[in-house]
Amino acid sequence: MLKSEAVTKVFGSQTAVDQVSLTLEAGHIYAMLGPNGSGKTTWMKMAAGLSKPTSGRILFKGEPVGVKSRASIAYMSTEPYFYPWMTLKDVGLYYQDFFADFSMARYQELLKRCDLTEGLKTKALSSGMMAKAKIAVTLARDASVWMLDEPFNGIDLVARDRIKEAIIEAAAPDKVLVLSSHLVEEMEAIADKGIFLRKGQLVKEVDIETERVETGCSIADEYRQIYGAQGGTEVC
Amino acid sequence: MLNLIKYEFRKTWMTKLIILAITAFAEIAFLITLYTNKEGLNALTILLLVMLAFGGVLLIGIQSISTMHQDMNTKQGYMLYMTPNSCYKILGSKVIENGLSLLVAGAFFFALGALDITLVFGHSGELNQLREMVNEFMKQLSLGVQLDGQMFAGFTLSFLCSWLGTVVAAYLADVISTCLLSGKKYNTWVSLLFFILLMWLTGYAQVSLTQNLPIRSVFLWHSLISLAFAAIMYVATAFLMDRHLSV
Repeated sequence: MLKSEAVTKVFGSQTAVDQVSLTLEAGHIYAMLGPNGSGKTTWMKMAAGLSKPTSGRILFKGEPVGVKSRASIAYMSTEPYFYPWMTLKDVGLYYQDFFADFSMARYQELLKRCDLTEGLKTKALSSGMMAKAKIAVTLARDASVWMLDEPFNGIDLVARDRIKEAIIEAAAPDKVLVLSSHLVEEMEAIADKGIFLRKGQLVKEVDIETERVETGCSIADEYRQIYGAQGGTEVC
Repeated sequence: MLNLIKYEFRKTWMTKLIILAITAFAEIAFLITLYTNKEGLNALTILLLVMLAFGGVLLIGIQSISTMHQDMNTKQGYMLYMTPNSCYKILGSKVIENGLSLLVAGAFFFALGALDITLVFGHSGELNQLREMVNEFMKQLSLGVQLDGQMFAGFTLSFLCSWLGTVVAAYLADVISTCLLSGKKYNTWVSLLFFILLMWLTGYAQVSLTQNLPIRSVFLWHSLISLAFAAIMYVATAFLMDRHLSV
C-alpha cells in the first residue's frame, strides 16, 4: 500500500531521514518508534505529501504521494493545526468540504466519546482536548492509510483507552495504520508491527507477535535493546 | 476551488468587517458635519474617508500576504496543504479571493466617494464651478486632462490592478524565501530585493509601453500590464510551491 524507497530528507546540514526503505502492507497497525529526532515525524509528513523528500520517493498504491494520495491518506500531526477562529463544528465542516471520505456522523460520535462538544472554540481547548479533537476528526475519515503522530500525547488514561478503542475499530484488512509514540507499552496493545528508527535511519522492522513468541521479547524490550545507554542493552 | 475561496474569505473577513464598520462610522460623522455646517470637522471626516479608502484597500492586500506567509510557515498550513488540492489551485484561490475583495472594496469606496462628492457640492451648490476650476488648472499644467467620473474610474482600476500585482509579487518573494532560501544567510534581504526588482520591472514596463499613449488609455494599459505581470508571477509562484514547498 505504502512504499518508501531510499527516502532521505536533509534540513541544512542535518539529515532528518536517511535512506529509509520500507513497505507498509494493508491490514496492519504499525508502531513507529524511536526517540526524539529519530525522523518519525519527518517521514510521516513526507508520506502525507506535506513535505518533499530530498531524494528517494514514497509510493501510495504504486504512485508517488502527492495531491491525489492526500484524498486517501489521513495524517494527524502532533502539533495543534486547526485555524484559531474555528469551533469544533467548523473543523468538521471543513473536513466535510475537502475530504469525500469524511463522515460527520462518525465525527460527532467520536467527539461525544471524547467528552467534547461541537460548540467548543479550538483556541480555547486544553492540550488534552485538542489532542482528542485531532484524533476524532482524523479517524472520522474512511481513509486507506491513517498516520497518527503521537496520538496519546497529553491525554488522560480514560480518554486514552477510548482512543485506543477507536483506533482498533478503524483497523481493517484493506487499511494501514501508522502510529508513533513515546509510550511504548501503550503501543504493544494496539500495533502488530514495529518500525524502529534511530538518527533518521531504519534500524529494525519486527512482527511484534512473532518476536514475542520466538524470542520472548516485548516491543518495550526491543526498544530498550535498541535505544538503551551506550547504544542498546541485551534484555532478552 | 470554490471551497478554497470560501475559506480564504473566512480567514480574512473579520478585517474587512472592521474596515466596513469604521467606514460606516466615518460616513455618519461626515453626513452629520455636512448638514450641520461644521466645515472644519467635515473636512476632517473627508480626510478620514479618503485615508480609509486607500488604507482599507492596502490592508486587504497586506492581510492576504500575511495569511499566505502563515499558511506556509506555521502548523495551520497543514489544514490547507493536507487537502487534495494542487498548489496551483491553492494559490489560485488566494489570488482570486484577494482580487475579488480588492475589486469589491474599490467599487464600494469609489461609489461612496462619488456619492459624497455629489452631496458636498449639492449642499453648497458649487460642484460645476469647482470642476471647471480643476480642469482649468490641469489645462495650465498642459496635462490636457478632463477631470470626470471616467478618469476617476480609470485611476481606481489602475490602482487596484497595480496593488493586486504587488500582492502576487509579495507571494512570489515569500515563496522564494520559504522554499529556496530557508535557513540561508540574508534570506529576508535577498527576497526583499527580489520583490523590489519585480516592482521596478512592472513599473518600467508600464512607463515604457504607455509613454506615447493618450492619458485616458494609460490607466487601462497600466491595469492590463499589472494583470499580465500578476499572471506570470502566479504561475512562477505555484510552480515553485509545487516543486519545493514543505510545510
